[in-house]
Amino acid sequence: MTNPLLISPCGECGLRVESTSSEDDEDWRTVHNLSRLLGMTQLPGLYNAVPTYNSTLLEFDPVLTDADTVTAFVRLLEQAHDLTAPLPQARIFDVPVVYGSEYGPDLPFVADYLELSQSEVIRLHGAQDLIVRCLGGPAASCMTDGPEFAKPIPRLDDPRLSVPAQSVSLAGRQGVIGPVKAPSGWRAIGITPIQLMDLDDPDLVPYRPGDHIRFRAIEESQWDQYNGRAMRDMEVQR
Amino acid sequence: MTITVNYAGHAVVTDLGRSKGPVRGLSVYGALDQASARTANALVGNAPNAPLLECLADGLTFTVDNDDVLIAVTGSPMDHASVDDEPLDMNTPISVKAGQQVVLGNAVGGLRTYLAIRGSLAAPRLLGSCAPDTMLGFGLRLHDGDTIETLLPSPPLSDLFEGIPYINLHVPSPRFDDDILVPVLKGPDWSEFTDAGEILTTERYIVDPRSNHVGIRLSGTTPQRSENRGEVLSRAVPVGAIEVPADNALLALQRGRGITAGYPVLAVVSSCGQSRVAQARPGQQLRFSLCDITSASAAARQQQRTISDIATRVNALLHASWRVVPENEWTL
Repeated sequence: MTNPLLISPCGECGLRVESTSSEDDEDWRTVHNLSRLLGMTQLPGLYNAVPTYNSTLLEFDPVLTDADTVTAFVRLLEQAHDLTAPLPQARIFDVPVVYGSEYGPDLPFVADYLELSQSEVIRLHGAQDLIVRCLGGPAASCMTDGPEFAKPIPRLDDPRLSVPAQSVSLAGRQGVIGPVKAPSGWRAIGITPIQLMDLDDPDLVPYRPGDHIRFRAIEESQWDQYNGRAMRDMEVQR
Repeated sequence: MTITVNYAGHAVVTDLGRSKGPVRGLSVYGALDQASARTANALVGNAPNAPLLECLADGLTFTVDNDDVLIAVTGSPMDHASVDDEPLDMNTPISVKAGQQVVLGNAVGGLRTYLAIRGSLAAPRLLGSCAPDTMLGFGLRLHDGDTIETLLPSPPLSDLFEGIPYINLHVPSPRFDDDILVPVLKGPDWSEFTDAGEILTTERYIVDPRSNHVGIRLSGTTPQRSENRGEVLSRAVPVGAIEVPADNALLALQRGRGITAGYPVLAVVSSCGQSRVAQARPGQQLRFSLCDITSASAAARQQQRTISDIATRVNALLHASWRVVPENEWTL
């Protein structure tokens, strides 16, 4: 039996729901399954469930419902469903990356920090499919697991005011691809020529939590070959 | 049907926000002072979420081109607010005739002023909302000389009444005191801080100029974290979340905040309080009062009820007024 969900108020129109098992992947499946169920059941007044790693933020209209009602509803779902079940079938996206130099100014730091060569860092980054854990800020960023490095990667002491769109970065044991130009304190190791976001697509970005990202090194000379291709066209058929 | 922007200031076309955004990792954005935006739309008979203008600090001037419109101005008062040099009343519906010029000067007392036009404005939408997203570069930001399409003509109300004040909706006009009192609730990470209640409710914070739609920075004594639990996993944080990014600095997140963050949430500004924070000017003094979920919910419901009542009365008035305007005087 897993621990019951931890539910804490977050203002009068929000609740933070945390899963507190000792297993990261189980916590992640739990909060994502719960958020998906809340989206499907549509409790009146509840307009958002935003899951990340081990928690989800529920936002509701305080005129239409209240914290007690939403809490009771979450408990009902918790009892009626196995929230630790696997997420829906994952898709795999092939993401070519130009690593290092001006594309990834922090690649030398990451290599030095891990006492590896730069090419070894690149190899490890693409060595296994990395799971998309959530969509985060800013702007539907693709938040993934990090590669299997020996230790977590420290953030920049002084965050950059701007990193280019489609930068591929690492911090802690996490990875991210950012769809838009944005400030960032993460270690940028490369850029993908693939266009992640399409404002005309109702989903904006094709990846969903549970999908897999398969990074692959390309040469700078191959940039134009991929430049502007849409992420949704990079899905790998199994 | 159009208006022509003579001076754009920092005005944008917005609405109540992109509620479908956060689950996709987008910030919600939308009118920072939600209460004033809702009130403006209610005063012209619009749906609560209709696109309207949000002006920041330095005003807006526009000319109504070819059809009369009905407008309402709410939020922070602005210097020299006028229609063709006649003083413009806030918090009430006003008819503006074709050819007339509306001037809003610098914000006085607050920071943000809302201007709704009956029938609203044409604006591009993303996930159902026109709210500008500064990260994506999406949205309708006004520029001098722009022409904005309005969607309904509105025959003048005042013709009926020969200039006699014909309506008093008793709209409570928000107070813009120098000393702003903001209700907050204990946040989910409240217990990680020492003497949080004592410090947060007695300290007078000063609004830092480095404040914007992402967050308002406050300088003053802050509660200290009693235990450092190491790096927190990124998680979604609500609008209104108060974080402690450094000694002597608080950050109260506003609607442009990134949806995920790794800082502990000390407290959360109540939804009514968020509208007040949105009007806080750099250099102003701000205090917090602790409230609980019950009182904050009651306040939110009361505020919505007040705005719904305004909408009901306005709709009745518009219906009654326009029914008796002779059809040949309509500008359709």
